[in-house]
Amino acid sequence: MDTITTQSPPRWRTMLDRLRNWSLANSPWLVHYNSGSCNGCDIEILATLTPRYDLERLGVKLQGSPRHADVLVCTGPVTRQSADRLRRIYDQMPEPKFVVAVGACSISGGAFRGCYNILGGVDEVIPVDVYVPGCAPRPEAIIHGVAVLLKKLQPDRAEEIDRLLVEAGAVVGEEEGIDEPNAELLGAR
Amino acid sequence: MTRDLINLLFFPAGLGLIAAGLLYQWVDRKLLARFQNRLGPRWFQPFADALKLLGKEEIHPAGSSAFLFAALPVLALAGALTAALYVPLFGLAPVFSFPGDLIVTLYLMSLLTLCIGLAGAQTRDRFSLAGALRVFTQMFAYEAPFILALLSPAVALMLAGQPSSWQIGELVLSAAGQPWFLLTLPITFVVALVGLMGKLELPPFDAPEAETEIVAGALTEYSGRGLALFSLARAVELVVGLTLVTALYLGGIGAGPLAAVLFTAKTIGLLLIVVVLQTLLARLRIDQTVNLWWRLGSVLVLAQWLLLLIFRVLR
Repeated sequence: MDTITTQSPPRWRTMLDRLRNWSLANSPWLVHYNSGSCNGCDIEILATLTPRYDLERLGVKLQGSPRHADVLVCTGPVTRQSADRLRRIYDQMPEPKFVVAVGACSISGGAFRGCYNILGGVDEVIPVDVYVPGCAPRPEAIIHGVAVLLKKLQPDRAEEIDRLLVEAGAVVGEEEGIDEPNAELLGAR
Repeated sequence: MTRDLINLLFFPAGLGLIAAGLLYQWVDRKLLARFQNRLGPRWFQPFADALKLLGKEEIHPAGSSAFLFAALPVLALAGALTAALYVPLFGLAPVFSFPGDLIVTLYLMSLLTLCIGLAGAQTRDRFSLAGALRVFTQMFAYEAPFILALLSPAVALMLAGQPSSWQIGELVLSAAGQPWFLLTLPITFVVALVGLMGKLELPPFDAPEAETEIVAGALTEYSGRGLALFSLARAVELVVGLTLVTALYLGGIGAGPLAAVLFTAKTIGLLLIVVVLQTLLARLRIDQTVNLWWRLGSVLVLAQWLLLLIFRVLR
């Protein structure tokens, strides 16, 4: 998607791009793949899709076919056996496509890191756009991860998305607050 | 000439029809969500879905004919849009009309199903093939009872000695002078409405795209533009089917803008019944679908026609 241009693109081009980003941000269809997870994250993802949170109100739909999907939601560490399958599913998805890694294992390998049959996190195999930490992450965390992805797609609507999250009960902007105690802890050592 | 072009491209056929189809789809999804105790999608959801799919990459799978792969979605949408020209959209007179267009419209409406089936059958994916098989099986199940049910009002008028015609425009005008066929032909009305659900592959007749068994059925390999055109064709077909059933069974079309509003309200009412049925009923296996249509559906239609004949003889 990123193209290097020497001059600013024509107006109709930016308009079309904005329209495309708007439609992408308002209709992310998911496909879900478990590359070796313990199923904890998978259950949380399914909980996120149930009527309790009803992600269809944001346009999110779970699709069966990778050809129909925009977002690949990965859980678990990548085992040596599933690496090829994961790569193939990623290749089967049409551009533009995004990857969300859900759970500690899909970020780094988590509890399984260093096992003889584990390659590591999802980003060992395919590029990842958003990481959702947790073991297993709560549905709210997964929704927040998707919101981060949407903010990336529509930077000019970031404030609006933040406001929607706050209305839904989230505490936004606490990332700085989390960093500080860690810094003190390191300093104390 | 200009008027024809506007009718054809913007309203009532063309872009206006596509927009109406997407709005009807939203009503369908929203009501379904409300019945399931959810909030449901926002009103522009089907528009965002269609735009997004149009802007995505189209992957052409190896082993299938590139020409057919690109042509079938276009043909499906063209068939649905052409069928719309002969039905009284939004209660307005049909854009075009010729003697016998009732039959032609029914066949044009089947074009979408045929194209989806062929699209699945010509890719080498196993899920597409299984889906295509189910699409064709289901088509042979509901098609005959559905067509007979939609021809029933014309036959009934003919048997009653009233002015009747195979031309939709004339038929709905003479239907407007009769009591609603919903009351006089209740059995075929039910068959027509349920047949429409089979044609649109709505639950309980969604075995051809059963997500838990065969991924996405015949359209598994389609991405981007092809998928967008197929979903637009489905949206158009929803409007065309509801319009046809409303026009034939719920009192034809009247004159004036108020009649058009009333007609549109009737189609939304029919959509409500369809959504309630979708919510209530679980998916049928493909053999159960075939059994339902051949053991029950076609027999019911024939019983209704027999009743018509008996009334005719007694009179």
